[in-house]
Amino acid sequence: MLSNTVITGVGVIAAIGQGKAAFITALLDGKHAFRIMQRPGRQHQSSYIGAEIGEITFSPNITERTLRTCSLSTKAALAVLEEAWSEARLSEVDPRRIGLIVGGSNVQQRELAQIHEAYRERSVFLRPTYALSFMDSDLCGFCTAQFGIHGLAYTVGGASASGQLAIVQAAQAVLMKQVDICIALGALMDLSHWECRSLRALGAMGTDRYGDQPALACRPFDRDHDGFIFGECCGAVVVESVESSERRGVTPYATLRSWGIVMDGNRNPDPSFEGETQAIQNALDASGLSPAQIDYVNPHGTGSITGDETELKALRACGLTNAYLNTTKSVVGHGLSAAGTVEVIATLVQMQRGRLHPSRNLENPTDSTLNWVRDTSIDHQIENALTLSMGFGGINTALCWQRNQA
Amino acid sequence: MNKTKLLELIAQRTREVLPGLDAHEFVSSDRLTDLGANSVDRAEIAMLVQESLNISIPRIELFGPKNIGELADLFLQKLYAV
Repeated sequence: MLSNTVITGVGVIAAIGQGKAAFITALLDGKHAFRIMQRPGRQHQSSYIGAEIGEITFSPNITERTLRTCSLSTKAALAVLEEAWSEARLSEVDPRRIGLIVGGSNVQQRELAQIHEAYRERSVFLRPTYALSFMDSDLCGFCTAQFGIHGLAYTVGGASASGQLAIVQAAQAVLMKQVDICIALGALMDLSHWECRSLRALGAMGTDRYGDQPALACRPFDRDHDGFIFGECCGAVVVESVESSERRGVTPYATLRSWGIVMDGNRNPDPSFEGETQAIQNALDASGLSPAQIDYVNPHGTGSITGDETELKALRACGLTNAYLNTTKSVVGHGLSAAGTVEVIATLVQMQRGRLHPSRNLENPTDSTLNWVRDTSIDHQIENALTLSMGFGGINTALCWQRNQA
Repeated sequence: MNKTKLLELIAQRTREVLPGLDAHEFVSSDRLTDLGANSVDRAEIAMLVQESLNISIPRIELFGPKNIGELADLFLQKLYAV
């Protein structure tokens, strides 16, 4: 699908920092925040490793009254939306022409589990607001109320591809002229110990192998990888047409040239070489760019043994052997629903800085013939980039980006 | 538990739901709506008070009281009902 929509604002939060300035600095330094997770409801007879965000800072516009019944996912959404909103100067836009797409399904699991546990024996006292908060669309409610958004707002789900799917959906809303501007938000996936347990049992989440050295656990594409390591994060990007950005005189980060979305026809978590190759090929074909013109790839690679291998095979098959590669997940962790959006933001801020961040723990790449950014950041001006996300249930998404030419 | 104590409890729970009322001196004739509570806030306040008192009052009966004094009377009546 050919697009030509542009990104004019971003907002991000991860365990390594809040806001794009802190985020890019930490990325380039390869600073991490992995530890045995401590957030209430994360552990139960377990010691899962992950990266958890610290205290979130809000402007005074977001009141205590609003925050009182917000879930962690909603708080993160409000914080990143505020940052993206301000950068893209959306206060100057007719709110009826602004939309919001929230990427992610069942993102508030830990908070819900906490409520279930607290009220199990006294359910008559369950808070009435639970009726609002148990649905992910509560994020749409809070965000549209806070920012006065009067276009469309809804959620889209595609497991770990949700973040990229939200961007695609936002671009479609702009291309169809349903709105002039659409914000895509990769929602913070708030895992409870229940989801951690099952993801571990399924073999998707990394083992306790690095239990006493949490810094070493997250190692996508390294020979010693054995699954993903969770990282709380959330990101928002403002998608609009070139004409719309010109009306306000805002300078875009980049153009979303095209995308590919392909299903494997497979309910399970296992990756598909054919599906990934086809998604990349569809994005490249629609972009009009040759594989040799792609000079940076932000891969999905979670640290899963077969997932990492399949993705690199797909990249080689598509002729993407010259592009630089690094792994944002090695620094941030895997944000599941948020990952796609946050990794697009990582791509955009690297593009803006003309610098690529290092890959943590990439000591022995499973394929050392590829053009990895290893243990230190390097200067490189990204011209054309590809960002990839894959999700359980056989979804593959590839987005093609071009640096702003202005 | 007397009416003064109940009014204090309602005030405390209202302040939790509606931050910004710290300086407000609650009186029996205060209406939650006038204090800025919407229907969700009123439901939350009523539930928080029920939880504090460990009594459950059917939702339909909570529509009756017109101000926090009447709400306190309703809770007292339920607390000491024979």
